Amino acid sequence: MAEAPVIAFFPEASFGAALNCVGIARAAQARGARPVFICHPGFTGIFADYGFQEYHLPAVGAPPSADYWQDFIRRHLPHFNLTPIDQIETYVAPTWEAIVDTAIGAEAALAALLARLRPDVVVLDNVVMFPAIARAGCPWVRVVSCAETEIADEAVPPYCSGLARDDREGRARFLARYLRAVAPAQDRYNRFRAGAGLPALPPGEFLEPSPHLNLLLAPSILRHDRARPLDPARFAFLEGAVRREGPYDLPEFPKGEGPLVYVAFGSLGAMDVALMERMIAAFAHVPARFLVNVGAFRDAYRAVPDNVHLEGWYPQPSVVAMADLFIHHGGNNSFCEALYHGVPSLILPYCWDGHDNATRAGETGTGMRLDRARWTTGDLAAAIAALVSDQAMRARLRENARAMQASPGVDLAAERILALVPGRAKAAG
Amino acid sequence: MARSASPNRQARPRSSPRASHLDLAQRILDLARARGMGAGAHLPEQVLATACNVSRTPVRAALDLLVDQGLAEHESSSGYRLAAGFSPASTISGPLPDAAEADLARRILRDRAARRLDETVTVGELIRRYGAARSAVGKALARLAEDGLVTRAPGQSWVFAALPDAPESQADSYEFRLMLEPAALTAPGFRLDPDRAAALRRAMVAFLAEPDDRLDPRAFQTLDAAFHGLIARGAANRFVADALGQHLRLRELPGAVVRANVVRLRQAMQEHLGILDQMEAGRFDVAADLLCVHLRLSRSQRPQAANRGAPPLFGLTYRVGGDG
Repeated sequence: MAEAPVIAFFPEASFGAALNCVGIARAAQARGARPVFICHPGFTGIFADYGFQEYHLPAVGAPPSADYWQDFIRRHLPHFNLTPIDQIETYVAPTWEAIVDTAIGAEAALAALLARLRPDVVVLDNVVMFPAIARAGCPWVRVVSCAETEIADEAVPPYCSGLARDDREGRARFLARYLRAVAPAQDRYNRFRAGAGLPALPPGEFLEPSPHLNLLLAPSILRHDRARPLDPARFAFLEGAVRREGPYDLPEFPKGEGPLVYVAFGSLGAMDVALMERMIAAFAHVPARFLVNVGAFRDAYRAVPDNVHLEGWYPQPSVVAMADLFIHHGGNNSFCEALYHGVPSLILPYCWDGHDNATRAGETGTGMRLDRARWTTGDLAAAIAALVSDQAMRARLRENARAMQASPGVDLAAERILALVPGRAKAAG
Repeated sequence: MARSASPNRQARPRSSPRASHLDLAQRILDLARARGMGAGAHLPEQVLATACNVSRTPVRAALDLLVDQGLAEHESSSGYRLAAGFSPASTISGPLPDAAEADLARRILRDRAARRLDETVTVGELIRRYGAARSAVGKALARLAEDGLVTRAPGQSWVFAALPDAPESQADSYEFRLMLEPAALTAPGFRLDPDRAAALRRAMVAFLAEPDDRLDPRAFQTLDAAFHGLIARGAANRFVADALGQHLRLRELPGAVVRANVVRLRQAMQEHLGILDQMEAGRFDVAADLLCVHLRLSRSQRPQAANRGAPPLFGLTYRVGGDG
């Protein structure tokens, strides 16, 4: 009997990418593959909990101090209140520097690990290329689990800009500042690539499309019309990559009936306790029930209203499926889950492609954007009321959800990935 | 000869019986019937404590309950006996636990777990919040205090104990259990209740037969508590049994509810069955080793935060709402 093909998934250290890959890996496993996960240091247990073998890259440098994240948040929270263009120098460029550090730091260990594992395919869900993957001697797949804007095109707003599709003037201004600000990180990264035998990338880019396969988590309802359409042989659009979780039992609310609203801002957002406190206080005045994801910070909250329930972890896809509205940060995973279950999104973006998704939600009639730094209780209540009562939007979202569920992105992704395994193209394809 | 309550009964005011005492009283009656004991038969506390795998304190409370029911009698010189009117058909007819009081205690805990109540609360605050009488609030607090969930503070204030519902307290909880649960299994005198073990196996196998989308986390939590309770109750050392029993009750509180994905729930249940296999075969040392592995996997670390674009280092914390 032939050995099961080994598919090495290498998601970046974020829950969004990690859980997208879990969804695809489970579909690949169901088709006879042996998915394994390569993890950044500290991202322990996530994949093992889903039954997958984990391989950890060794940590680079000293372990973070206990208050590392508190410092991180203190440093960056003010930046998240800026407009996308003003985040370029304060948040985006320093973050690219850190991402380049990650890539350089991981290279040797990753190369050694890939040589040992000898995978049939590597699946990279990240925003930066690791040269060891290009040299692993097997096909590699790029998963674009950010918004579609990550793959640049003249007709698509720039990545992380939050610009409307027809804002040509804004586009030129944003790109000029972006390219200038990220140039030092990009120069450094290109020198690293050159040292590893890879060609330099164009200005502003840190990850090339795979010559084998690229998977974009961009449901049809959000897609842009591109000036240069992507080659369907190498680029596959997925209707999300939503995984299944177990059922969620609604908690008992001491008070409150009405629509069910799920609130989750990702792991970074959960650390913004001040914003969350303000929202929770505002929820007391909204006739709805709120399930709020507070990550590891439950003890930071007090006087929680009777129509609000806090937890540190939810089986998110199952909860979104029950909700009438999903308030989130514009993470592509969250947005796709909302669409997959026909739920409108109220997006308060922090950074990165959250801005792009927030704008796109308004453009496509799938949700609404609210500025995280400038809202009143009245604004929030009005936005919630508008979204839960918009019957036309709900009908359109329900119809779209039916279409998405009829063509699960995880299945298509698994089939396209397995088609890259030598000798399986016909069977999988 | 004067027939009276036990010294223990005379010394402390009686609150409504707790469900656990009722359960134990029922077991004592079952035991009496199974052994063919008739009216007037002696009910030795230590024998009952050993038979029921509990310490003498709850046995005494359960016997007092039977006295209240007229099913047993107590003599200060010779202890407890089945009452003259006892027959094999005798049953406990009440009083049942005060439902309103239990419900109020449950709501207080629910709201503390949800951080609707602060760590310190006053009786007045609870009266206003729940629209309850002062006496009802007092009884509910007394019930919670009996389980070590609140303690009285100066004035009319009460302070909640730390619940295993935050990462740090969950980490402490796993450490505590890693110290005691395997030790309970390997210490001389561990006794496995074969009937409970068999019933639990059937329930765990049935749980695993459910499809993913019907794998109920609450059912998991019930079985998880029953499985670890089986180990706690089997401990020969009564203090170990009591400490583990009390800690397991903490884990059943709202907010400490299991939140893990279905794959991990299945893994954890399979681990339970593997441990049970060894326990039923009498290989308690192997069972203890597997139990250590199970607890360590259940407390596996998770990143506290990580995000696209965040720097490559990130803090660690324990899983929020682990199983085990």
